[in-house]
Amino acid sequence: MEEKLSREEILHVANLARIKLTEEEIEKYRVQLKKLLNDVEKINEVEGYDNDILIAPWESNTTLREDSEGSMLDPKAVVENAPRHSGNYISVPVVIGESEGA
Amino acid sequence: MSNYIPTIGIEVHVELKTKTKIFSNSTNGYGQMANSLTNVIDLGYPGTLPTLNKEVINLAIKAATVLNCNIRKEMHFDRKNYFYPDNSKNYQITQARTPIGYDGYVEIDDDGIKKKIYIEEMHIEEDTCKSTHRQDKTLLDFNRAGVPLIEIVTKPCIKSAKEAKLYLEKLKELLFYTDVSDCKMEEGSMRADANVSLRKNESDPFGTKAEIKNIGSISNVGLSIEKEIARQSKIYDEGGSIEPQTRRYDDKIGDTVLMRVKETGNDYRYFPEPDIPFVIITDDMIDNVVKTIPMLPEERKEKYIEKGILEANAIKLIQNRQLSDFINDLLEEDINFKIASNLLLGDISAYLNKEDKKLNETTLNKERFIELVNLMSNNTLTSKNLKEILEKIMTSDDTIENIMKESGVQNITDDSMIKDVVKKVIEANKESVDDYKAGHDRAIKYLMGQVMKETKGSVNPKMAMDILIEELK
Amino acid sequence: MKYLNKNIEEIHELLKEKKIKPIDLVNEAFDNIESNKDLNAYITLNKEEAIKRAKELEDKEVDNILFGLPIALKDNIVTQGLKTTCGSHILENFIPLYDATIVDKINEKNMIIIGKTNMDEFAMGSSSRTSYFGAPKNPWNKNKICGGSSGGSAATIAARDLLFAIGSDTGGSIRQPASYTGIVGMKPTYGRISRYGLVAFASSLDQMGPMTKNVYENAILLNAISGHDEKDLTSANKDTEDFTRLIGKDVSGMKIAVPNYLMSDIVSEEIKDKIKETIKLLEDNNVTVDYIDVKYLENAMTLYQIIAMGEASSNLARFDGIRYGYSEENPKNIEDLYLETRGKGFGEEVKRRIMVGSYLLSGENAKTYYNKALSIRDDMRKEFKRVFDNYDLIIAPTTVTTAYDLTDPMDDPRKSFMDDILVIPVNMAGLPGLNVPVGFSKDHMPIGMQIIGNSFEEAKMYQLASFIEKKLNLELDPNGGEK
Repeated sequence: MEEKLSREEILHVANLARIKLTEEEIEKYRVQLKKLLNDVEKINEVEGYDNDILIAPWESNTTLREDSEGSMLDPKAVVENAPRHSGNYISVPVVIGESEGA
Repeated sequence: MSNYIPTIGIEVHVELKTKTKIFSNSTNGYGQMANSLTNVIDLGYPGTLPTLNKEVINLAIKAATVLNCNIRKEMHFDRKNYFYPDNSKNYQITQARTPIGYDGYVEIDDDGIKKKIYIEEMHIEEDTCKSTHRQDKTLLDFNRAGVPLIEIVTKPCIKSAKEAKLYLEKLKELLFYTDVSDCKMEEGSMRADANVSLRKNESDPFGTKAEIKNIGSISNVGLSIEKEIARQSKIYDEGGSIEPQTRRYDDKIGDTVLMRVKETGNDYRYFPEPDIPFVIITDDMIDNVVKTIPMLPEERKEKYIEKGILEANAIKLIQNRQLSDFINDLLEEDINFKIASNLLLGDISAYLNKEDKKLNETTLNKERFIELVNLMSNNTLTSKNLKEILEKIMTSDDTIENIMKESGVQNITDDSMIKDVVKKVIEANKESVDDYKAGHDRAIKYLMGQVMKETKGSVNPKMAMDILIEELK
Repeated sequence: MKYLNKNIEEIHELLKEKKIKPIDLVNEAFDNIESNKDLNAYITLNKEEAIKRAKELEDKEVDNILFGLPIALKDNIVTQGLKTTCGSHILENFIPLYDATIVDKINEKNMIIIGKTNMDEFAMGSSSRTSYFGAPKNPWNKNKICGGSSGGSAATIAARDLLFAIGSDTGGSIRQPASYTGIVGMKPTYGRISRYGLVAFASSLDQMGPMTKNVYENAILLNAISGHDEKDLTSANKDTEDFTRLIGKDVSGMKIAVPNYLMSDIVSEEIKDKIKETIKLLEDNNVTVDYIDVKYLENAMTLYQIIAMGEASSNLARFDGIRYGYSEENPKNIEDLYLETRGKGFGEEVKRRIMVGSYLLSGENAKTYYNKALSIRDDMRKEFKRVFDNYDLIIAPTTVTTAYDLTDPMDDPRKSFMDDILVIPVNMAGLPGLNVPVGFSKDHMPIGMQIIGNSFEEAKMYQLASFIEKKLNLELDPNGGEK
């Protein structure tokens, strides 16, 4: 029998990624994601490395930017590209609940 | 009172006073037209990349220094991933693993008892955009998106609402004095969250905490903590248990209200930000920033008291940055600081308030102020006369002495003129003269008062007194 | 008269002598693209602007060797005012508000942007078949893939539509299609070219690079597009250099390593044979070639899956239907807006990778997978650096097979990673890698060889590549030089 993830597992990751799946997709991804997760499992077989990490193969450290102002966008251009807007604002369906962030 | 021991931790977000945003060179400003202070980076356009503002690092080093934190010499950023419309990339660039500052403290003075409030860590991150909720939609203004923030997190070491307030007042004072932030809670440039939990005994593990988010003023932080302690105490008293939740303080009802029950472990999927290479903080960078740190309030207060300023006045002075900076400039001068402080906090402050001016918007500079203080110390200028010429002092460049002359408020210092007045007063108050001669010292004060009345206060009081005593012999 | 099948020096001379004008080249490029329309190499053509620009250039002095030459950009490079889709429904009508740094550089050289080339959706794929706009076809055999994700750029160069195209390479997406279509493709050192304006797939791996019909033209284009950029903190603070400077110089005495794993059973016999023939050629010319073991190469694909999908899940979170791009028409609420927009806006491969990436970063998984991958990645880079202590360059096949049929099944999620197994390690270590054609299979599909250099040693790679190119002197025009 083909290995697959449970329906709940797929729905959980789909929600993390904010992606709505059709029934057909759910069934397909149950098999496909399992295959990929089996692949990444192989990382646990690797040995002999040290604890230093490589975030990205940066060739230089960060050069800080001077605190001086540059050009900005016309609010009209900002809202024109947005699918929903109201005056100078970009709008979205009403949001209930507070930000998780700062 | 409660039978429980409260444990409180405070998280403060402070907007940094920079010209531009943290990861882009658009303007860091407040109160402008919606979406007028943005560029493609702030809006999270495809293909854009962050740059890192030098001033943000400098201000963070400054804050870390005055909060007595260790400063990390090599740091990187992390992405905090969550979907929310105020977050243009749907991830926030923050520092989860390598906060710039750690293991610091702020010392508070709780009615003479000093206590250290320990700081767990202080990190740099970007602010989100501002959302306004309407009936049918939410409006997004990205002007605030990418404004630099530092988040300062205490250890859970605060024991009361009062300590929490003292901590925040101290923190605000320090960050304001060092020009890290303008710390305006009403404009959101300083925002506080409080974590509150209760337990029976010091030896018990911490209780389940509730988080009160985004409290709008320091006094409300105090109130909300008190209310939260009461709420949790009541639940425990009734045998209930506390569930982890997020609350907010509602000013109108004067109590905390539930925002949401916390989902089990928010899944922020943190990982190191690959777009920003390591930031190296050198000793030179730190030294250069430390050089710019002005004298801190604590030291100012000590210095002022040393110079003879009353403690109450010293405290008032440090609460007013411009006056305090002004007097700091004079600390090397040999003047009467008691009079100087009275002048600044009294007549001069009243004038500035009335005119809605700042001290540096008047003509009163260091030299003229010294002249003014000296004229008052040697009684050449009385406070009554000062009131008459204050406006001129603050708006003209002339010496105080000239202004006094021109305004005719020069003290009467002519001996013969004073003598005449004194003689007239003695003549008219035989009874008091007799009392004085009979040994009633108080009578001379009355006579002196009459002299002052007669001269409309424009006589040098010390001189007048000397003449009066002489004439009464 | 045809000009775009000539070499760059000839065209440049003609332009300088005013025998031709930029507009002649632009018209010819559009004619070529039109006659090769069935290749489906382009998503958007920039016809009006390109013609306007060519006319403007008529009054200008021919100031550099790239002056007036048409160029095609992969459609994940943002162009102000010109649609940039990333091969996705979610950006089907997206008009960027700014130009990528590479676009500024191209404009500075007075080159003319002809259009935006077809690609796998958000560069996720190895055959360009995940494009929302249909797969491009291989000019050598239109029933075959031209590889991916920079498939459209490879196809248009292989077909000799024009001389220059830009691709991007996160896990082989320049080199692998270059190999399948018989062209030269360079993925430079990470940081060599500013990524500002390249729509991110995996930020720590992405790098753009030139795709051309020969080595010299490739180096010329790299000269124009590389350099430090203050807008990209990951761009390397390196002086500019002339990448053609070693071309034609003697290669004898060079020391070259061949990693055993990259010549193991995973590679088809036909390709291995062709590589061995090339190695023989090198040895005959006093080049030392050693087969060596390089640690962690067999783990590169796993590392790549974790890091690339993890970063992608975050990089692609911004496509939410709020500020730009496709958006669900009538969402019930904000959550519905996210779910429907992303559910409908992304294709199958992209959704799969975002979901896996989200999973790999969530909760404890970040420790189990992601952090571990970053640790091994560090060791892998160090291992490569050790190899370069003793060797000038590394060579290997670019692909395990030649281009396969467009109709081959797409249901195996591992397939796209397996196709890139030989090219992925280079991105993990941030090294430069280049494909140079070395021959053809029995069914006359191109076979490519990969040259890997130490960081910032692209010039040396071009030196070897051009030596091989000259010695082999292959007929690399699928039409045999006839249109």
